[in-house]
Amino acid sequence: MSTLTDCALTAVPAHIDCDICVIGSGYGGATAARVLAEAGRDVVVLEEGGDYTGKLLTQRDAAMYDQLYIQRGGATTEDMGISLLAGRVLGGGGVINACDVVPAEDAIWRMWQTRFGLKDFGPEAMAPFNQQGLADLGARPMRADQINRNNAILRQGASALHWRGEVMEHNRAEHCKGLGTCLVGCPLDAKQNARMILIPKAISAGARVFCRARAVRIEAGSSEQKRVQCRSLDRRGYHEQQGFEVRARIVILAANPLGTAPLLLRSGLGNSQVGRHLSLQPQVPLLALFPQPVDAFLGIPQAYAITQFATCDETRGHSGFRIEGIMGTPGIVGSLVPQAGSAGKELMTHWRNIAASLLLLPDESVGRIVLGAAGVAVVRYELTAEWRGRARQAIRAGARAYFAAGAQVVVLPTVPPMLLKSEADLARVDALSLAPATLPLLSAHQQGGVRMAAREQDGAADPDGRVYGARDVYVMDSSGFPTTASSHTMAPILAVAHRQAARLAQGG
Amino acid sequence: MPGRPLALVTRRRVLQLGLGTGAVALLGGGGLTLLRGSAPDVANLKRLSPQQFRTLSALARTHLPAGGPFALGADDAQLARAFDAYLEGEPPAHVRDVQRALHLVEFGPILFDRRLKTFSHLPPAEQLQHWLGWGQSDLLLRRQVWWGFAKFLGLVFYDRPEVWPHIGYPGPSLERLPT
Repeated sequence: MSTLTDCALTAVPAHIDCDICVIGSGYGGATAARVLAEAGRDVVVLEEGGDYTGKLLTQRDAAMYDQLYIQRGGATTEDMGISLLAGRVLGGGGVINACDVVPAEDAIWRMWQTRFGLKDFGPEAMAPFNQQGLADLGARPMRADQINRNNAILRQGASALHWRGEVMEHNRAEHCKGLGTCLVGCPLDAKQNARMILIPKAISAGARVFCRARAVRIEAGSSEQKRVQCRSLDRRGYHEQQGFEVRARIVILAANPLGTAPLLLRSGLGNSQVGRHLSLQPQVPLLALFPQPVDAFLGIPQAYAITQFATCDETRGHSGFRIEGIMGTPGIVGSLVPQAGSAGKELMTHWRNIAASLLLLPDESVGRIVLGAAGVAVVRYELTAEWRGRARQAIRAGARAYFAAGAQVVVLPTVPPMLLKSEADLARVDALSLAPATLPLLSAHQQGGVRMAAREQDGAADPDGRVYGARDVYVMDSSGFPTTASSHTMAPILAVAHRQAARLAQGG
Repeated sequence: MPGRPLALVTRRRVLQLGLGTGAVALLGGGGLTLLRGSAPDVANLKRLSPQQFRTLSALARTHLPAGGPFALGADDAQLARAFDAYLEGEPPAHVRDVQRALHLVEFGPILFDRRLKTFSHLPPAEQLQHWLGWGQSDLLLRRQVWWGFAKFLGLVFYDRPEVWPHIGYPGPSLERLPT
């Protein structure tokens, strides 16, 4: 029976039997579910979040961050230096992302081949899987009339400085109206994401999908039949209710690195590499005040990237930085205001004149996920000196682009805010310590934690995503990425999941 | 580097240490009489004690005061109530962390500024000056507490429709689409 069941509303049987249990319904999990269901396998999908589409996506910050993001939008690294943004909703991160399609470059596939022994991940071998992913997304370039003023300002700055940049590809459907609230979901369902494209296809092919269903632990992970211990959640997803068990021969983990690695750790599965090699790609928010209204909240939030300083080669992978226009709704921007009292309110009264961007800085996979008290995941991550140096460079470059476009003041949200009024002020950036919780850093593209590698001593899963030390337990999300795959993980997750699911469907 | 020695100490541990220090300050500073404060309505609280709620109310009022560029402030948006309600959906360990943080904030003037008044008893201008000190502190714990509360208060306040006209946000765009 093909179904979508909300476990908060419907009683679930105590035992559910299937061939394959997929944990997580983002691009990785939904692709695996679809490919394997279409191959005739009996698939069950478990998603901890609820099902939000259409007008349930209210464009309001408090309610949507509460319902669509992990830990109600409040997840952070252990030192609280980096906010961890990831989806907890049917369809995963694609429901709340900015729809940027940036496939992995060939150099990345080659690096994974040579450094980690993923010999079948060469550019030629991955090309068809990448194409399948892009077709799922309906990826295409944005039209010139879809670039809003906030992004046009960055392009203007880059052009004045003769810097390289690009209008990004995206996965928005034709009926996108540029509502501007992509980060809290699209009430027009105009994102061609896992919820809209892949989950319906998986269900049509026979998959059974359960939302508000938390996978707590995998038992008998080394046996023929695994038992996934689950709890249904209440309507808001706050508290656990009824327990149930999914019995499956194969378990596929695709719950984002922040869910996948902790589940393995809680289950006592895998080798000592589980939880290691986590990449967070920390991002730095930068604001600029302009004399005229920018109205950055109107139109598509993220469309243009300055790529002048981004590099990628098969030795180091991604380095440098990108500068991308972005804007959120007032609540999320208000949450980053680095001032208290009337001064903070004063800054927000300039809301219409604020341009905003994120400085995207790739990182080494230096983070680690461990279990804290009561099995709660703890993310340990310390910024490297090299990253801090690049971040200062990126802040100076971002400020220069804004000045070139006519900004009056560039604002870095430290406490108190660093106000840069001209290029002469840029030297002040050198003094930034970037110590934890001095600047509200963000992470939206978590990768690693269950790194794929040909040798067990180098990773936690083999090149097909099979977890070392377990039997028929796989990872098919960005957890398996040996390094940062791209500045935006959606397309690489799809490509890798297509490959791994196809291999599994063929009995590989 | 500011805060670096504490970077490897877990948040929970730091908050526990902070609470311990707060308890010492409480005993040395005249006992429970210090815990009185201004008196917002404390009926029907979900997770916070009346004193914790008083501290949070004072903190919210300091962070987002009434007046200045526009009249609305934390009390108009009932931010402290919203925070207490939010905690109802949080795991008990998180709630305890928040409660400990509020104790620290209450005793912050004694612990960090050598004042003889707790936070709720300071005049508004001094509350603001003290609270800004948390965000700029060399101590990681104080910066963590600052951002923890600042993010929540800012998000909920600027999500309120009554605030939008004052910042020029026309509201959710779906409602403005031509039919």
